Amino acid sequence: MSAQFEPNIVAFLCNWCSYAGADLAGTSRTHYPPNLNVIRVMCSGRVNPLFVVNALQQGADGVLVSGCHPGDCHYMEGNFHARRRFTLLRELIEYVGVEPGRFNMSWVSASEGAKWKDVVGEVVVKAKEAGPFKQFRRDKINW
Amino acid sequence: MDIFKLRKDKFADFLASLGGYKLFAPQKVGESIRFAPVTDAGKVELALANTTVPPKSIFFPQTETLYRYALGNTEMHPPAEGEAGVVLGVRPCDARAQVIVDNLFSWDVDDPYYLERRKKIAVVGLACNKPCVNCFCLSVGGDPASTEGLDLLMTELDDAYLLQPLTEKGEKLSQAVAAVAEAAETGDLDEAEKLHRQAREKINRKVETDGIPQKLPGLWDDALWQNTAASCLGCGICTFLCPTCHCFDIQDEVEGIDGRRCRMWDSCMFKEYTLHASGHNPRPTRRERTRNRINHKYNYFVQKFDVIACVGCGRCISFCPVNIDIVEILRQVKEAR
Amino acid sequence: MVDVEKLKKIARETISRDDVRCLIGWRQGSYGFRAAPHFVGKPEEADQLIFSPLCSHNLATYLTLAEKLPVPRGQEPDTRKVALLVKGCDSRAVVQQLVEQGIRRENVLVIGCPCRGVVDQKKVEAKYPDMGAAVTADWGEKTVIFNLPSGRVEAPREEVLAGKCMTCRYPNPLLADIEAGDAVAVWGSDEYTDVREMEAGDPRQRWLFWEEKFSSCIRCYSCRNVCPMCYCEDCILDRLNPGWVWRSANTSENTAFQLARAFHLAGRCIECGECERVCPVDIPLMKLNRKLTKEVREKFAFEPGTDPESKPLQASYRPDDKADFIL
Repeated sequence: MSAQFEPNIVAFLCNWCSYAGADLAGTSRTHYPPNLNVIRVMCSGRVNPLFVVNALQQGADGVLVSGCHPGDCHYMEGNFHARRRFTLLRELIEYVGVEPGRFNMSWVSASEGAKWKDVVGEVVVKAKEAGPFKQFRRDKINW
Repeated sequence: MDIFKLRKDKFADFLASLGGYKLFAPQKVGESIRFAPVTDAGKVELALANTTVPPKSIFFPQTETLYRYALGNTEMHPPAEGEAGVVLGVRPCDARAQVIVDNLFSWDVDDPYYLERRKKIAVVGLACNKPCVNCFCLSVGGDPASTEGLDLLMTELDDAYLLQPLTEKGEKLSQAVAAVAEAAETGDLDEAEKLHRQAREKINRKVETDGIPQKLPGLWDDALWQNTAASCLGCGICTFLCPTCHCFDIQDEVEGIDGRRCRMWDSCMFKEYTLHASGHNPRPTRRERTRNRINHKYNYFVQKFDVIACVGCGRCISFCPVNIDIVEILRQVKEAR
Repeated sequence: MVDVEKLKKIARETISRDDVRCLIGWRQGSYGFRAAPHFVGKPEEADQLIFSPLCSHNLATYLTLAEKLPVPRGQEPDTRKVALLVKGCDSRAVVQQLVEQGIRRENVLVIGCPCRGVVDQKKVEAKYPDMGAAVTADWGEKTVIFNLPSGRVEAPREEVLAGKCMTCRYPNPLLADIEAGDAVAVWGSDEYTDVREMEAGDPRQRWLFWEEKFSSCIRCYSCRNVCPMCYCEDCILDRLNPGWVWRSANTSENTAFQLARAFHLAGRCIECGECERVCPVDIPLMKLNRKLTKEVREKFAFEPGTDPESKPLQASYRPDDKADFIL
């Protein structure tokens, strides 16, 4: 029996809320899928939507951007800007043929360790359904 | 060498006889007609005036790997050796352009990637019976039926193609087709000659190039460059679609531990082309870059290699988004005092 | 309708003003159905101006394309105005550039030319092939008139006009210091049918479509250079360090290039269609950009280039922006 496909998911977590929430899930010894590669950023508003495109190019099968709940951003408005940007980015990449479910966004606060477990579970399931990302992966074999 | 006549209904057989070679011919790539590897003989398109992207892309691809490496490992892996190939349907202007570009790639350094392809890939030309409205090959030393740079020249007659081998490579190719072709008769040769003559008459654009290489240095500060460059967008269309343009950039691409050094087309019309690391740019505006482009093709290249680096294919005129017309510029150069 | 003689008179008067450096309009091209941007520095040069269905170019790109060289010591920078002839779509570019403060209002003098549509070069060249001589054109009643060497011909507008013109909702300039003609009736409406068709398909089919298009891109940067909204001095697509998009032309990098440009135009693209017109390998760029203009209209009720007082879309937000997809 062949090994099941394990997606590689890059997650941009804002330092103040989502990263702390993920940390809480960890210290609470919550079990959740290990497929995420976490990149800590200070705010979800710092995440350039082109990071998502670049991550997919470099081998990610899914990308998650997670920040503070609207109204709770440590920098007041960063997540409001992120919300607009990623609404548009999601439409754009799905339009060119990236499967829905590869790109996800979530609001996870520092106390939501339990929610974090659910978010990761959902994101991994969606990425598994979508399969390995091939569309515009860098084609190093043919370099 | 014998000239053959290949009936059009046997053309697919001709292509099949070239099965031992990697075959390139004009086909639809995306939305435009370009030279590409042939996988389905039925998709070859020879009917139009000329492809958007010239066949230089076969010998000098838009992007090619120079060598691969892995970080921490000092071995370099050059790309796999190329196979023998044939590029078919090349217009005489583009074939001539390739010979002009050979000068550059074997000048101070023998470019192994380019020259290897030139050695291994035969060029089968297709004479122009219907030049396009912007062609001016006759003015720059070319001809709709020129044989320069070709291994075999095809001429399209009503219901057949004439195949005229010109070199050893061409001879070998025409032997491959001998089984499905007949010897050409005098009548066929006369018809071809008539078509070539008619094609010459159809070329409307004329440029007087005498004296232009000598005149250009004196026009260094002329207003004509600013006037021409005012509408220039600084894109790379004229250079990328030009069969004699040959500039490239070299970049290292690394992802994780895998890397490659590759080269890709570059354009003297881009601002970064002459941007120094210090921030200084000797060609800071489009005026200097436009002046440089015309000087390179009609002056510097002539000084170095005794040939104008322009074959009159007309692509820069047809595809320039703002209708900057090189024939018009040359006319102004000729008339300037 | 614009009377060309009246337009030339306006141009002559404008360029004679002390506070105007140059005037940018269109002139007849060098062959076939071409027009070319025309830079007028002296009143006599205004005689070559035309305004016809051949005037496809969005001249607003020249407002931001101008190279700003350091001024030699002792010299003052030239702050005179640039006078610009604009069609409806072009004026949206000027408005959006003002919204973003890419240009200053006092540096531009806008001459508005209500437009009844410009031709699609490929359609016209397919209809009337091998046109070496320069052809003049004019608008008829729902037609376009061409003065071919063989005589005058009239073609139904849907056969020769650019796709963007058939769905045009802004034929009259939204901003003008001088009106060069009477307003024309709006005859287009836009349901974004082309975008909706693409959205309705399967993601795999969509990728096959776009992969074929993106892999044929030769990275000439024409789309970026012609775009009136692409004017960053330090464009992300040129940057090597960090390398957002590598220079090699392959499916992966070309896709990143196109997605980056499309995304940077979200809420800014004024649908002038120039990118698609200039692409030498005919990538349907409008099909890509219009997806985002549709989303911006539907999700944020915003149309760039229509209101000089508006705030740029991606530089603002509303606390009640909807984003149901967020977990």
